This record gives sequence, C-alpha cells and structure tokens, in this order.
Amino acid sequence: MSVESATAIQRNQVDLLDFVDWSGVECLNQNSSHSLVNALKQGYREDEGLHLESDADEQLLIYIPFTQVIKLHSFLMKGPEDEGPKTVKLFANKEHMGFSNVSDFPPSDSAVLSLDNLKGKPFTVKYVKFQSVRSLTIFIEDNQCGGDVTKVQKIVLYGTTQDVTFILEGISKFDHYI
Amino acid sequence: MVLEATMICIDNSEWMRNGDYTPTRFQAQADAVNLICGAKTQSNPENTVGVLTMAGKGVRVLVTPTSDLGKILACMHGLEIGGEMNLAAGIQVAQLALKHRQNKKQQQRIIVFAGSPVKYDKKVLETIGRKLKKNSVALDIVDFGEGDDGKPEKLEALLSAVNNNDSSHIIHVPPGPNALSDVLISTPVFTGDGEGGSGFAAAAAAAAAAGGVSGFDFGVDPNLDPELALALRVSMEEERARQEAAAKRAAEEAARQEKGGEQPSNSQDTTMTEHKTITAPEAENKKNDLMDDETALLEQALAMSMDDPRTSNSMGDTDMSEATTEDQDLAFALQMSVQDNPKDSASQTEMNKVLGDQSFVSSILASLPGVDPNDPSVKDLLASLQGQSEAEQKNDDKPPNEDK
Repeated sequence: MSVESATAIQRNQVDLLDFVDWSGVECLNQNSSHSLVNALKQGYREDEGLHLESDADEQLLIYIPFTQVIKLHSFLMKGPEDEGPKTVKLFANKEHMGFSNVSDFPPSDSAVLSLDNLKGKPFTVKYVKFQSVRSLTIFIEDNQCGGDVTKVQKIVLYGTTQDVTFILEGISKFDHYI
Repeated sequence: MVLEATMICIDNSEWMRNGDYTPTRFQAQADAVNLICGAKTQSNPENTVGVLTMAGKGVRVLVTPTSDLGKILACMHGLEIGGEMNLAAGIQVAQLALKHRQNKKQQQRIIVFAGSPVKYDKKVLETIGRKLKKNSVALDIVDFGEGDDGKPEKLEALLSAVNNNDSSHIIHVPPGPNALSDVLISTPVFTGDGEGGSGFAAAAAAAAAAGGVSGFDFGVDPNLDPELALALRVSMEEERARQEAAAKRAAEEAARQEKGGEQPSNSQDTTMTEHKTITAPEAENKKNDLMDDETALLEQALAMSMDDPRTSNSMGDTDMSEATTEDQDLAFALQMSVQDNPKDSASQTEMNKVLGDQSFVSSILASLPGVDPNDPSVKDLLASLQGQSEAEQKNDDKPPNEDK
C-alpha cells in the first residue's frame, strides 16, 4: 500500500464517481435547496458556494448505489470547521435504511472526522469490510459544533472496481486480481 | 402520477356520531376515504393505500398499504364508533406501516382525518412533524368536525413542521350541507399537488356520483369537444383556487341546489364555462350523465340563446349531475346560463327553481360531488338575492322543468 498524503489518491484507487448509479441515489433529511448533488456531483462539489445541508436536525442519511460491484478504499469529506460532519458511519450493501434502524446493526466502519479530514485529508476505511460493495449508506450522526445543521461541501469515494476493468494508467501494480 | 404509498388515518371516535356533516360525520368520512382510495389507485396503478383507525380501543391497522381497492372498501364496513382519537399514536403507527411497505420506491404519505378535539399540545405535534419530515413522509390533514381548543392552530403547527416543498397540505372543512368528499375533491388531497390531478379527481368524482363514467377527464374529452375540455380544465384550475370560499357558501348553495339542472348545461356550453369557473368540477360530473343528452342540450342551448333574459345564474354550480338527467332541466339551465353571462350573480333564487321534486333534489344533493365551487357566482347571487326578493317570487312561480 502506498503512503497517503493529504491530497493524493492511493495508487490504483480511482474516484468512484463514475460508478455511482444516479437514479438510486437518495438522501434523507436534506434541505431541498442544498441537496446531495451539491456535494457529490462533479463540478458542483468543487464549487465552494454549493453544499449539502441537513434539514430538520443535524443527521443525514445518504444512500449511494453503484452500477457495478466495487471495493471501497477510502473516502473524503470536506466541510466547514464547525458545521462539518463529525461522526460518520458507513454501511455496505444495506438498502433503504432509515434513521430508525441505523442503530439496529453495527456499521461496516465508523469514523470520527477531524479538522484535517474536513480540509481534505481522506479517511481510510477498513478495506476488508468493503470488498464487494453494491451500495453504500453513509450516516452522518452529528457535526463538529453540535448544532442543528450539518453542512458538507464535498464527498469523494476512492476505491476500485471488483472486476478487472482498470484505467490503463493504474496498471503498474496489481494487488488484486479476480 | 407520483408513485406513492398512502396511509389514511380515520377518526372513529364518539365525536363522529354528530350529524353536522351529512349524513353523519363518520359516514362522510368513509365516503371521502373511498374516493381518495379510488383517486390514488387511478392516478398510478402501482400506488398503494392502507387504512387505520385512531380511536376505539386503540390504534388499529385495518389494511396495510395495498393496491387492491376491494380490500380497502371491504375493511371500511362494520367499523364501530367509540373511544377517543389518539392523533400522535395514529400518525406514528401510520409511519411504521409505511416504513414496511413492499415497494421502497414509493413516496410516503399520510392522510389524517382529524374530527375530534386534539388533546396533544403543539410541542408534541411539532416533534412528530419534524420526525415525519426527516423521514420524508408527507402529511395531509383534513380538519373537520370539532373546531375548538385551538385545534386549527395546533394542526397548522403540525403542518408547518412537516411541510417540505409544499408536499403536505391541510384542509379545513366547516360543517355544512356539502358532503365532505365533495369539498375534498377539489383540494390537493385529491389532485396531488396539481399534477394532472384534475383528471382523476374528476373521474373519481364522476364515478362516485354518476356511475355512468365515460372515463374521460371532465367527462368529455378532446375527441369529442376539445374546446369544451379546455374550457373545463381552465375552469377547474380557477375553481380550485377558490374552493375555500365556496365552502362558506355551502349554506346558500343548498337553496340553489334545485338548480342542479344548470350544471350540466353549463358544462355543455363552452362559453359558459368562462363565466362560471366554479361549475367546472360539477360540470365534469354532469358530463358523464349528460353524454347522451349532449346533442339535445346543444340544441336547447341554441334555442335558449334567443330567449328572454332571465336572471338565471350560471352558478348553478352546485353540481347536481344526477339530478339533471332530464332534458328539461338541462334546457332550463342552459337558458339560465346563457342569460346570465353578463351578470354572474343573477340571483340565487334561480337555483331554487328547476327541479320540481324537492326530495329528488335533496337526495341528489347528498351525493353530489364538488359542491364547493361557485365562489364568485355564489357571492353575487347572495348579494343579488338579498336585493331581489322579487326574483325569488318569480322563480317560485315558474314551474319546474319548464322548457323554453
């Protein structure tokens, strides 16, 4: 495994944005004028003025299905210092979760984001738990300051596909092969 | 055509025995539920509807969300009235039932009939509302029956806590001769936020009222009469905007119910609809009945145009589709509407005539859909009515079903 840096992506890891199945993407408790696309879609997430915001309270539940089975390596979540997310739980392959059953089973991984993470340092997940992911559920439990609104500027997922359809540039070393 | 799963919460508490809505509050509610189920399943065949009762021994789910209309109608039978309504528990159980719906792609909606006093305070209701909003559940509240103890304010607070992008609504229905379902037909509860709702609302109303549904929107479709269909649609839009005012006029409407004959004629005549936006909903219902009489009516309308100026009021709006199966009534109505174009508010008295059979009229009234419309015309009629007692006498003198 290569060394992480604040901005570099792991070798062989690609931005999984291309594999997101946009028709099934859902976000519960989002403010309708600040929706998930602001944080997830190419172009929108680079825009500093657009962000994802929570509505009734500070929790957010994001459901992202993929068009093919992927392995998740790390994720990046950028947000403001105080209203950015703090405790983030990831669930792999659990469909249609609601706020009431997030605590019913243990998350595949959970993360407490630091300010470095919010500035752009990716968080590496437990890779073994995300070896064949069809869909990812991100539960943002609370935010840094403890207020009623959580804001997320950008969400990026890094990983690889399970099949061997790599981008040619990343072929130098295969750790995984079917 | 939104794909939606709906849970309807019925109030079957002791307060529903009251007869201020015809025939009883409970029966009016049951009719409204039946219509809603029909409308939802018609707008999208994959929609599901479930029903639960909030009073009685406790909150009880009668049927989980299903698209089988027969099952829903069957479970409405044999419901007993008693106990007190538990609004908070009812909404929470409804939310749970929706959570376990089979098709997770459906949007979630709860329709609550709140007829008895609400014993919960605003804070609790707002918490419930926020929880619904967080789980993206829309809520429609039908506020009828008891209206004290700050109940409207509490329900408004609940609505504002739930409301997300105007997907939730509240309808206040005051007591009156108009059937609860008639008032609801033109509201967003039926029309689904205005997205082509008028189509199934009209069809549902027509189906319930006439039984001779042609299946078309507004009873007549572009195939037969594009101008008429367009005029009806425009009228429907306008009418919807004024429905609340119409509910207030329900009392006056009753007096004019006899005029039912006018309704169908109005709908027949494209030009008429321009003046009577309110008649549109009734017109739709009428249409179904009048399909056969259309030709005859048009002929009569032409004849009427030449006729003397009677202060007929176009308002006839109170839909009396069933009542006007007779050509004579239709002819009369047509005449009235033609005459009345310049002055909408001819006089309420006009309504009074027409149907010779009082009992027939009253029975029709009870089953009439879409009674609420007629806001502008009704108002005018009221004003003119008070000023024109003579007109009433004139109307009384005229024999019902007179031909021109």
